[in-house]
Amino acid sequence: MSASTHSAVDASGHGHHEASKFHIFVQLAMILAVITGVEIVLIYIPLAKWLIVTSLVTLSLVKFMLVIFIFMHLKWDKLFCTILFFIGLILAGGTVAALLALFHVEDAKPLTTEDTASIDYVVRSA
Amino acid sequence: MSTHAAAGAIDHHHDHTTTTGIPNKKLFMWAFLASDCMFFGALISTHLIYRLHQTPNQPDIVGLFSLELTSFSTFILLMSSLLMALAVNACQKGKVAATRKMLLGTIVFGLIFLTCQVYEFSHFVHEKGLTLSSSMFGSTFYTLTGTHGCHVAIGVLWLVLMYIRSFKPADGSPWILKSFVHLAVFALVTVASIKALLGGVHAVQEHGATAQAISTFVHHDLLAIIVTAVGLVGLAFLGRSSKAVEFGEANAIDVESMGLYWHFVDIVWIVIFTAVYLLEYL
Repeated sequence: MSASTHSAVDASGHGHHEASKFHIFVQLAMILAVITGVEIVLIYIPLAKWLIVTSLVTLSLVKFMLVIFIFMHLKWDKLFCTILFFIGLILAGGTVAALLALFHVEDAKPLTTEDTASIDYVVRSA
Repeated sequence: MSTHAAAGAIDHHHDHTTTTGIPNKKLFMWAFLASDCMFFGALISTHLIYRLHQTPNQPDIVGLFSLELTSFSTFILLMSSLLMALAVNACQKGKVAATRKMLLGTIVFGLIFLTCQVYEFSHFVHEKGLTLSSSMFGSTFYTLTGTHGCHVAIGVLWLVLMYIRSFKPADGSPWILKSFVHLAVFALVTVASIKALLGGVHAVQEHGATAQAISTFVHHDLLAIIVTAVGLVGLAFLGRSSKAVEFGEANAIDVESMGLYWHFVDIVWIVIFTAVYLLEYL
């Protein structure tokens, strides 16, 4: 008797959880659409460039996290899935940051046509 | 259907038969997506590096992009993610008909996204002269967005295969031949509808929203329109299902793994939309 009651409670709880998931997904899609709209409006607002770039990156990050934790179920899955994905994500982010930093230095800038012409002149003179 | 009888009995987030407690298919997909992050990280950083430096033959990029088209594509991909999440949800509850509808919706939205990308690339190549080898921007832009487009195309193919899989009869009767016909009709409708859609857009661009545009569209793309219409009737015919099928809650892990891939394609586009498109307008 108690076992059947227990399973009935579990089943109703499970059903309620699944029904609320439907609403969560629809609400999340609306939030993502609104954030995208805000991003588009943001680029036309006459504010400091650094402020807009920071806002755009933050909004993209928020969208990214909302999708992976809710649409991709990371919120409900085991922690190991989150750790596994974030290993790849951190390595990718680190690669992007390292490459941008490496190519930001003066010596890494690509040569222009004038630069190559002057190098040719120096080589020929020598 | 036996799978319906078991509704509510399967724990979709944990699998006690594996040592990690995570279904193996899901674990594999997360590991693959982690590696794909690094792949796209390399492509995005290459594009950004060459954008931050002045390179020869650089085109007027703001004049090149259409923010309306890209915003529309982004919205479509976000909504396709919603339909994919709902498809997974429906499959976890054993609702086969709802799963099919959501999968079809995701396929249609994925195809709309691909059509927008084909239109964008065609416009860049034929009207703006931007090719893979015309400038460094062309090389990195096409490589990055083209790779993402390939991921979307693979996702659409996977969705179509899953949709067809949902018709496997429970009584064990032969279905492979019917599946191939189903796939062929899908391929035909995809190609014909994209061609017809692009033809319609070009006709409207050339003549405006007039009767002449409709006349030009029908004259140039009559075959594509007929093939699309006949193919859609064929899909409706093949999509009729009155028999019990061997597809239900037990297949939720397959649909969920596919959903993870599709959402990943969406999050990559979230980054590309900001890094490649929006930042150019500043």
